[in-house]
Amino acid sequence: MRTRGAREDVCPPPRVPAVPREPEPTPAERELDDTTLVVRAREGDVRAFSALAQRHQAALYRLALRLVGNAADAEDALQESLLDAWRRLDRFRGDSAFTTWAYRIVTNRCLDLLRRRRATVSVEQVAEVAPERLAAPEAGAPEHAAEVDAGLAALRAALRTLPDEQRACFVLRELEGLGYAEIAEITGASETAVRGRIHRARRGLAEVMRSWR
Amino acid sequence: MEVGRTVPGGPAGETLGAAGPADERIEPLACGRDAADVWDHAVEGTLDAHERDCPHCRAAAADALGLDGVVHRMAAERPVPPPSVLDGVMQAVIDTVTAELRPQDLLALDSPAGPARLSRAAAARVLRHVVDGMDGMRARSCRIEPVGSGSGRTGTNGAAGDGAATNGGGADPFGVTVAITVTARFGVDLASVTARVRQMVVAAGEQALGVPVRSVDIAVVDLWDEP
Amino acid sequence: MTPPVRLTVGDAVVARIAAATAREVPGVVALRPDLAQTLLGLAGSLLGDRSAGDALSAAGASAAVQDGRAEIALTLVTTLGHNARDLSAAVQRAVAARVRAETGLDAVVRVTVADVLLDVPQAERESKQSPQVPPPGSR
Repeated sequence: MRTRGAREDVCPPPRVPAVPREPEPTPAERELDDTTLVVRAREGDVRAFSALAQRHQAALYRLALRLVGNAADAEDALQESLLDAWRRLDRFRGDSAFTTWAYRIVTNRCLDLLRRRRATVSVEQVAEVAPERLAAPEAGAPEHAAEVDAGLAALRAALRTLPDEQRACFVLRELEGLGYAEIAEITGASETAVRGRIHRARRGLAEVMRSWR
Repeated sequence: MEVGRTVPGGPAGETLGAAGPADERIEPLACGRDAADVWDHAVEGTLDAHERDCPHCRAAAADALGLDGVVHRMAAERPVPPPSVLDGVMQAVIDTVTAELRPQDLLALDSPAGPARLSRAAAARVLRHVVDGMDGMRARSCRIEPVGSGSGRTGTNGAAGDGAATNGGGADPFGVTVAITVTARFGVDLASVTARVRQMVVAAGEQALGVPVRSVDIAVVDLWDEP
Repeated sequence: MTPPVRLTVGDAVVARIAAATAREVPGVVALRPDLAQTLLGLAGSLLGDRSAGDALSAAGASAAVQDGRAEIALTLVTTLGHNARDLSAAVQRAVAARVRAETGLDAVVRVTVADVLLDVPQAERESKQSPQVPPPGSR
């Protein structure tokens, strides 16, 4: 009697991918407002969550990138934050915007990551990066384009030297354009504290950037 | 050894992440003006007469404008994450959802050929899709409860229009009740359109899912304008 | 028909037959591993356990053979246009028939429809093989 088992012991079949690539939300689902998508996702609708994540991932990624300073860590932080968001969605009350809630998750993730990273980074490692990044442009660099890039590079480096909480407030305000109240909700600080941190960040950065004017 | 970073323009060696009153206080300028206000006025182009003339304010405004240009350039950068990030997230989500399907996440299907069950979330998505396909309607929440579950509604509120809403307890192991919330476009006739939602949901339950829908509760929770 | 040969059929064999048969039923887009298989796959990849890896290749189907009976569990994904109840019954009949034909075992087939796609991705439409078994017991 023929059995599959006997045959397969000799010649195992090729592996078939068990799980197909996850299908996307439909075009109609992509058009839905955040509130509708959140309600659906909370009821277990994976595609509704996917649509939400697709819609907001670029903004969340920008925030992560500017908080942690490199793409690899930003990608990790974004991935973990989105998984967190999915797991905690049933605790999202909807009394703030989904974006505010998601920004908070990303901010907390990134601040955690920075704290952990700081505990393991040595002086030598920092020294390798910092002088090069902070170096002034060569005297008389002629090209405007080179000047622009160098200015941005200097700002990026200067951002890294800010205390984390200041950097978070500054990025949310000046690069993402959020208001003080929303930043306070995201960072868990008072509006007064947010305003103070943003101001200190501005002054600190302005000082560094003075050489670029 | 820990790195003690200094804050440019701030007190040397300020602790990272410190959030005390020192972090919140904004030192007024020598002329007494609030430094943050002057900064905002400078970038918004709303400096008043004093701020335009006062040397302290002018210095602060110059700092603000000097930084503002490069900050704008950075804000204009639009880096995007690689697709692998979201792909990884969704793969993990779908794996978790499938792996963690519990009995209460499943509806019993009336198969003559053995025990069969359907994910409640999948069924809800199909019913929402049917409502989304109707002109001027969007489904929001869609909760499907087995009639026999004994929780929530009794399934006897007579709203189904299918004449079969009188099953009780275990006598109807496959019947369900559906509670759906919708948003509608301004101007649609809510009475007639909700009647149609009811019909469509009952029909989709039978035709697409094989699940007998005994009653449908519909709540219109918001109205929207066509953009 | 029954030859004078003593045959023992393992769980993994039945699971693999069940998975292959279910995939060929029209309307079945994919199978998905359940919790036990997810953990098994994880253990397999961590420990390099070959048998765990084999079980994973039948992912979406699990089977337990006891006293001449097979208990089979399948978790599958379908698509709009296939009635979930009728599809479940079709899969149950096809799998039970195939398992009986190949192994002589009676089977109870437990089906879970985990997902209903609203539109089938092109890649899956193309990768669908032509059926190698006659269509399941038609109604």
